[in-house]
Formats: sequence, C-alpha cells, structure tokens
Amino acid sequence: MKSILKARWISSFVFLLLLFLITGIVDPTFLTYSSIISCFNNATMYTLLAIGIAFVIMTGEIDVSIGSTLGLAAAMTGLIAKAGGGIPRMIVTVLLIGALIGFVNGLGVAWFGVPSLIFTLGTNGVVRGLIYIVSDGRTVENFTGGGLGSFSNQVLFAEITVYYAITLLVFIAAHLIVTRTKKGKYFIAVGDNPNGANLVGISVFRTKLVAYVLCGAFAGIAGFVFASKYGQVMISAGNGYEMTAIAACVLGGISLSGGLGNMVGAALGAVIMASISRLLVYIGLPSTYDNTITGVMLIVIVVIDALAQRRSIEMARRKRLLSRTARQTEEGASKA
Amino acid sequence: MKNVKNLFRHWEFFLVVFLILEFVVFGAANPKFLRPASIMTSLVNYISVCIIALFVTLVMITGGIDIQAASIIGLTSIVEGYLWSDLGVNIWVAVASALVVAVLCGALSGFFIAYCGVQPMVVTLGGSFLYSGLALLVSGLSATPAYQGISGFPSKDAVGAFHGFRFLGKGVILGVPTQIIVYLVLIALCAWLLHRSKYGEKLYLIGVNAQAAEYSGINTRAVIMSTYVLSAFSAAIAGTLLTANVDSAKYNLGAGYTLAIITAVVLGGTLNTGGKGSILGTVLASLIICILRYGLPLCFGVSTQNLDLPIGVILVLVVLGREIAGQRMISALFKRVKRK
Repeated sequence: MKSILKARWISSFVFLLLLFLITGIVDPTFLTYSSIISCFNNATMYTLLAIGIAFVIMTGEIDVSIGSTLGLAAAMTGLIAKAGGGIPRMIVTVLLIGALIGFVNGLGVAWFGVPSLIFTLGTNGVVRGLIYIVSDGRTVENFTGGGLGSFSNQVLFAEITVYYAITLLVFIAAHLIVTRTKKGKYFIAVGDNPNGANLVGISVFRTKLVAYVLCGAFAGIAGFVFASKYGQVMISAGNGYEMTAIAACVLGGISLSGGLGNMVGAALGAVIMASISRLLVYIGLPSTYDNTITGVMLIVIVVIDALAQRRSIEMARRKRLLSRTARQTEEGASKA
Repeated sequence: MKNVKNLFRHWEFFLVVFLILEFVVFGAANPKFLRPASIMTSLVNYISVCIIALFVTLVMITGGIDIQAASIIGLTSIVEGYLWSDLGVNIWVAVASALVVAVLCGALSGFFIAYCGVQPMVVTLGGSFLYSGLALLVSGLSATPAYQGISGFPSKDAVGAFHGFRFLGKGVILGVPTQIIVYLVLIALCAWLLHRSKYGEKLYLIGVNAQAAEYSGINTRAVIMSTYVLSAFSAAIAGTLLTANVDSAKYNLGAGYTLAIITAVVLGGTLNTGGKGSILGTVLASLIICILRYGLPLCFGVSTQNLDLPIGVILVLVVLGREIAGQRMISALFKRVKRK
C-alpha cells in the first residue's frame, strides 16, 4: 500500500524532471539554476491553491469555489492597501475570509449532505458576486505603493522569493500533518472509506469541515499573493483557477474519489501546471499550445494511471485465485 | 388529495411555482418585462447553456459529469470559421465537419471514461483544456487574428433579412426565433430519449447501479460513451447557433459556460451521483436562470456583471432546502415504520 502511494507522487516528479530535461535538450540555456528556480517561484499561487484543495479532495469531496475565494481575498487585500492598512491586517483578513467561506462550504457539504460540486458551485457564484459588491464593480488597482508590490519580488536566499519560501514551509507543515499526525491521517481515512472511518470513531463531519476551512484559508492566502503579484484585481480575478488547482492535484496523483495521494504530489502538480507556458517559450512553441499540451498531459497521465491500477487489481485477484486453488489441491491431496 | 400530495413530491412542481413567481414579481415591478419579444431575446442570449444542459442531464443521470462541453462550443465555432473563410469550403460542409469534430471529441473523452475507467470529472477537465487549446491552435491557422473573430458569414440581404447560415442564428419563423425552435426540437428529442425510449431506461439503470445494469445485459460502456458523444454534439449545435447569431467565429466563444450548465442541470433536480433527474426539470431550471438574468437587471437595476450572486444564492438555498426537506421526509418515514 505504501509503495503505491509513493509511486503516485514519484511519477509526477519524474514527469517534471522529464519536462525540464526535454526543455533543456531543445534549449540548453534553460538549464540554469535561476530559470528552474523561477519556475518554482512562479508556482506560488497554484501551490497554495493545490495544497488547500488537496485536503478537500483527499476526503473525497471537491471545492470549485476557490477561484472566486482567491478573487475576493485579492480584492480585499487591494482595498485594505488602498486604505493604508498594513500587511498583517491584510493577511488576517484574507485568512478570515477564506476560512469563513470554507466553513460555509463545509457546513453545506458535511452537515447538510449536499453534493459538494453543487454546493460549492453555488458559493462560487455568491462569492463572485461579493467581489463585485466590495469592489463596487470596478477593478481594484493602484494599491501597490505601500511596499506590497515590491514585497512580491523580494528574494530571501538563493533566488527563492519570500513567498515561495513561506509556501515551502507551509507545504512541509501540511505534508507532515497529513502523513505523520493522527488527526492528519483522518483526511485520507475519511476519503478512503467514510463509513469505516465513522465506525472507528473518526468524525466525518468534523474532518470534512476542517478540510474545507483549510482549503478556503489557503485560497485566501493565494489571493493575497495574487494581489501583490499583479497589482490589480479585476472582478473576474481567479476565474478558472479552481480547475487548474484540481488539475494540479490530479497530475500529482491525488485521486478525485478520495483517500489517495499526498501533498508532495499536489505541490509538484502545481509546479507542472505553472511552468508549462514558460517551458513552451523555451521549446520555441507559441504560448497558444499551452492548453493543448496541458490537456493532453492530463488525459495521458490519468489514463495510464487508471490502466495501471486496473492491471494491479487484476494481478492481485489472479494471485489470490492461484493461491486458493493451490491450497485446495493441497487439501485434496492430504485428504486422499 | 392524494394527487395533490404526489404533486408536492415532484421537484418540477416547485420549479414551476418558482418560475411563475418570477413572472409575477418581475411583471409587477416593470410591465416592460412581459413583452414576449424581449423574453424570447433573453432566451436566445442564453440558448447555448439551455441546449447543452439538456444533454449534460443525460450524462449526469448515468452518474458522470461533463465539464468540457463549453470548450467544444468555441472549437466548433472556430472550425466552421476556419474552413469557411480560409479554406473556402461551403458553409454547410463546414458546419457538418465541425459537428463531426465535436462528436470525435466527445467520443474520445467518452472512450477514456467508459473503457479505461477514468473518473469523468478528470477526463472532461483534461478535455476542457485540450479542446479549448485545439480551438486556439485552429484559430492560429487562420489569417484572421484570434482576438478579432472571423465574421461576414452568409448572408444578409439588402433589406436586412437573414438567409442560409445566418438564418440559424437570427432568423424568425412565425414570430419565433429559429434558435428557440431548434431548442424546442431538441427538448422533444431529449425527452423522448430519456423518458420514452429503451435508451433512457438504460441510462437510469446505469445511474442507479452500473454493475447490475452490466449483469442484466446492457452494454454499459457503449451507453456511457454515447452520452458524452451526445453532449459534445449538443455543444456543437450550440456553437453553430451562437456563431450564426453573433456573426463571429471565435475560439473562446462559450468560455465560462461550464458552471452555468452544471448549475442548470442540478437546479433541475438531477443528482450528480446519478439515477435521478428529468428533462422537464432541466428545462425549467434553465428558464428560471434565464428569466432571472433578464429580469433582475431590467426590473431591479441589478448590474448585469453581478448576476452570479443571486443565482448562487438561489442555488445554495434550493439545494439546502431540498436536502433538509428530504431528511425530514425520511425521518417521517422512519417514524411511520416504527409506529407500525
């Protein structure tokens, strides 16, 4: 079981390496430390989103409202910056917004039992509307004067930006929580078998609620990063990001039916999703190939994964059958 | 009395009440709302979502989901535009080729879902990237810049009447826009498929229990694959109508319709776990959303940019209410059983 889990994220790691290598072969100038690191730096936002939604996907649910949560958090960040508020205030605000939206999602899905896709679709619309209300229907802009904009490009060490360094820390924490702590393992347990989890005394409701709150909070922080990176927040900000985040998780080997995968996969998937357009430039293809390649990649990976899984199930069944018949013939021989 | 009770159990009943309420409230707020021509225009503006939602209902009844249909709108549109304007193909041949392309797209995704056993959400997510990407690539082949859109489709005569291809999008037959007539035909087709044919029975059975369906001799894989082909086909029809209506073939037509389509289907009472749903429900829900999008700005001055909020609120309230009512009904049932 453990080896399967390992193999799932390792395949996406190998895939990322291959992507880098192929790009490097086509254009050797890519294979420098700084251009590879910048791929990671650019993935900050997607990494945050992917880690957040990974909690939810592990429990077997989905959250399509994170795109607009990101937009709302970004708009609030911009408005606070315009009003002269400090960065701590922004971070507290985006965390609260995200967690609150996540809480509502969690209540709807886990308490009332509404299918998660439907419920988060609804909250997605509501939150998108809230962006319109808080920003008065206008693009929030001209707010990066107070250090917020310059902060986004600040390098901490070895060309790693402050944001990515923080994201890395958060990622490590999330990974340790999910793999090492007892409560963290609940996410996988609930996704794998909710009834079984319930029987051994895990609160499915609480676990899913926590997953949604975390997911929302991560999307909120991603919104803060968005605002500081782009310096302007349109009403449609973050539209479609939820699909990219889900795709990142899928690439990273997290099963959408829950109970499988880990944070390493989510983070690697996010880097892959964020780097594709960049790598295409090095390979010499126009960025119009972006979606095509993403789509092909996604489908190929999941189809191979599904076929491999089916094969392993088939093999296991055959093995079981063989051992059973072997035992039966043995018994038959001893009786005779 | 019993009939009345049964009526209340039907989700469609609530949808009809809601729709009537919309007409009453909006009509009272602004008499202009009730002009048939404006109502039809509002429906035409939303027809892509309405059409695709019909066939996505079939997909969702089998327990699947289709989030790629919106990207096929753009793909069909640009394929038609490219074939017609850059290669000089006859417009109807171009339309037919675009329909074939769409069917192939649907078949590809359907194949992976049905025969390789990949989750529908994942495949169609990949499909939405892939087909919108392909649309952009086709757009790159054309001499017309991608952002501009290919226009000048045949044809509009000196009087301003529409013929040929444009008639699909702009024509009027007996006072009813062609698009709405196409929609009505598709509704009839879909309702027949789902509620009157053997095929529909198979869809429900697969949605309730795919394994049992397989054991009872249904070729579940072929049926599941066919639903994705149908939804892609409907997306191609929607894309053609949209192109003919706005006289512009663009790769990103229909982008962002995905969530609207799913909203219409689930508001119509289709379960995304499969086995439950109806065409009538989807049609009513599409109309409710459409009328809401038309009425709110006209009667209450809501900005057209901010229609996500009311629709989101309604979706959340409706699904919550349905869930709570369902739970109460179940607990009432248990009580009755206990008493016996």
